[in-house]
Amino acid sequence: MKKMLLSIASAVLLCLPLSANAAKPVKIGFINSITGKEAQIGENLTNGVTMAVEDMTAKGFSITLIKEDDGGDPKNALAAYEKLVTRDGVIGVVGPYTSGCANVVASRADQYNVPLLVPAAAKEEITMKGYKNVFRLNAPANVYSLVLMKAVAAYKPKTIAYVYAATDFGVSTVKTAQENAVAMGLKEVANEKYQQGQPDYRATLSKVKAANPDLVFLVSYDADAILLMRQAKEIGLTPKAFLGAGAGYTTAQFAQQKEISNLVVSATQWTDDVNWPGAADFGKRYKAKFGKEPSYHAACAYEAMRIMIESASKSDNSAKLRTVLKGGSWNGILGPVKFADYSGFTNQNNHPMLVQQLQNGAYETVFPAQFSKKQLIYPFRR
Amino acid sequence: MAPSTYRGNLTMLFFQSLISGLLTGGVYALAGIGMSLVFGVMNVSNFAHGDLMMLGMYMAYFAFTLLHIDPYLSLVLIMPVAFMFGYFLEKVFINRVIHHPHQNQILLTIGLGLIMSNSTLLAFTSDPRILTTSYSSSSFNIFNDISVSIPLLLSFLITCGITAILYLFLARSRTGMALRATSQNREAAQLMGINVSRMSAIAFGLGTALAATAGALIAPTYYIHPLAGHSFLLKAFTICVLGGLGSVVGATVGGLIIGVVESMSSTYISTDWKDVVVFALFLAVLLFRPQGLFGKKGGQ
Repeated sequence: MKKMLLSIASAVLLCLPLSANAAKPVKIGFINSITGKEAQIGENLTNGVTMAVEDMTAKGFSITLIKEDDGGDPKNALAAYEKLVTRDGVIGVVGPYTSGCANVVASRADQYNVPLLVPAAAKEEITMKGYKNVFRLNAPANVYSLVLMKAVAAYKPKTIAYVYAATDFGVSTVKTAQENAVAMGLKEVANEKYQQGQPDYRATLSKVKAANPDLVFLVSYDADAILLMRQAKEIGLTPKAFLGAGAGYTTAQFAQQKEISNLVVSATQWTDDVNWPGAADFGKRYKAKFGKEPSYHAACAYEAMRIMIESASKSDNSAKLRTVLKGGSWNGILGPVKFADYSGFTNQNNHPMLVQQLQNGAYETVFPAQFSKKQLIYPFRR
Repeated sequence: MAPSTYRGNLTMLFFQSLISGLLTGGVYALAGIGMSLVFGVMNVSNFAHGDLMMLGMYMAYFAFTLLHIDPYLSLVLIMPVAFMFGYFLEKVFINRVIHHPHQNQILLTIGLGLIMSNSTLLAFTSDPRILTTSYSSSSFNIFNDISVSIPLLLSFLITCGITAILYLFLARSRTGMALRATSQNREAAQLMGINVSRMSAIAFGLGTALAATAGALIAPTYYIHPLAGHSFLLKAFTICVLGGLGSVVGATVGGLIIGVVESMSSTYISTDWKDVVVFALFLAVLLFRPQGLFGKKGGQ
C-alpha cells in the first residue's frame, strides 16, 4: 500500500510541472464603467466579456479575470489600472470603455509596461501618441464622421449643424467631422455643445432649426439621444438627415422609440447582419443569454477579450504579450483584425465602420454597399 | 434669406426660448419649493432631495407601466405615499440631528440619498427607463412657429396649481400657520403650544411629496435613472439660495429665473455655457443680496 501511494505521489509530482504549465490560468484585467453615467453601455461590454470568457474556457483556455469599475471617471480608471498591474499582477488589461478614461490610462501604460487593449473608445489621440503598450480594436472617432458623410455624399447636402455632448468622444468626433465636412465642401451653420443630463434642449434645437441645415450631426450617450430626438420632433426640426455618431443612436432602446427614431442614420463598429465570421451567431447567442440585442460595444468587448485571452495564453509575461499582439492577426466577429501603424496611429486596428439606418424599428446596414442589404432612405421625413 | 423672415426667425427664437425656459423652470421651482420648505421649518438642508425626486420618477414610471395610470393622474397616488415616506424619514432619522450642526445633517441626508440611489441601482439596474405616453413628444404651435410641448405645459399648469394650494394652505390653515410660526421662531412656537416636532415631520413629508411630484411631472419628458436626482439636487439648492432659503415665493421665482436664464443663455451664448451663466448670476445675487431675492435679512 505504502509503495503504491509513493509511486502515485511521485507520478503526480512528475506530472506537475507539465500540467501546471498547461493549466496555469492567465491573469487578465478588465476596466469598465459598471456604475455611473455610462453604466448602461458599460453593461454591454461586461456582457461581451462574460461571453468571451465562457467561450474561451469552453475551448480549454484557463483564465482568471479581474474586473474593475471606473464609474466613468478617468481618475478611478487610472487607479484601477495601477491596482491591476501592481497588486494583482495581470499581464494584460482590456478596457476602459469611455474615451476620457481610456486616454488617461493609455498615457500611463508605457510606464508600467503592461499592454492595454482598448475595445471601444473612439478618441483618436489614444493610439496617436506612439505608446508601445496601447492597442485599439475599434475604429477611432474620425472614421465615425467620415463613413457617415461618405454615406450621404451622393445626395449632395450643402450645410451641416453639430449638436454634441461636451465629452471627449463628442468633442473629438466633431473636430474630425468638421475637417471631413470642409473636405466635402459642407458649410457649418450651427455648432452646439451641451452638458449631459439636462432636461431641456429646446432652446439649442430651436437655434439649429433657425439655421436650417441639410444635415444634423449628433453625438450623444444613451438617454440623451432619445431626449434630443423627442424635443427635435416637438419643435419641428426636420433636416434632410440626422447623422448620429455611435453611442446613444445605436442602442436597442433608441430603436424602440419608433416615433422619433425612424430614419435616423448612425455609424457603428458592428451589426449582426454583417458578413464577418461568427457575427450572426454571436448576435443570436447574446440575445438568448441576455434577452436583448447586442450593441457594437458588446461585440467589440467580446472580440477584444477573445484576442487578449488567446494572446496572453501564448505569453508568460507582458513584454511577450506585447510582441504577440503586435505581430498577430485575427479574423472573428469584427472582421479581420491587425494592430498596425498607419497615418499617425500606432497599434491601431484599421477597422471598417458601417452605416446603419433605423427603418421601422430595425437597424439596417446601408453602407458600405458590400456589407449591406438595404438602401439608405434620403431625405429624412416624419 | 429675406430680411423679414430673418427677423421673424429671431423673434421666433426669442419666444421659443422664453416659453421652454418658463415651462422647464416651473418644474425646477417645484423641486426648489420642497427643499426651501424643509429648510424654513426645520433649518435642515436636505441633500437627499434629488434622490426623493428620482423615487417620484420611478413611482410614476411603475404606475404607468404596471398599473396603466397616466403619469399626471398618478400624482394622486404618489403625493400621499411620498408624504408618508417623508414623515417616516423625519421621525426615524432626521429628527435625531435637528439640533445638531449643519455638517451632521448634511452627512445624514447625503447618506440617506446614497442609500436610495444605490438601492434603486441594485433593484432596477442602470438602464435608463423612458416613459413614453401617447403625448410624450407632442406639441402645438402658437403664433405660427413657436412650439409648446404638451407634457411640459401640463406639468407647468399642475405646478402652478400645487403652488397655489400650498400657498393657501400655509397662509390660511391652522397647520399652515403653525408651520410658519415654527419657521419664524422654533422656541417661541413651542412656548405657544405648537407641537414643533410634529410640524417638522409634516414639513419634511410635504417637502418629500413636492420632490416626488416634481420627479413625476418631469418623468414623461425626461428619462428615469437611479442617478437622475443628482443634477436636480444642485438645481434645487441653487434655486433655494437664489430665492432666499425658506421662502416659498422665492423658490418659485428662483425656479422660473433659472429656467429662463438657462434657456436664454443656450440660445444667445452657447449651450455649453448655460451653467456658467446660471452660476455667475447666482454668485452675483449672493454678492448683492446674501439673503437671496426673497429671504429675510439676518436669516441663515
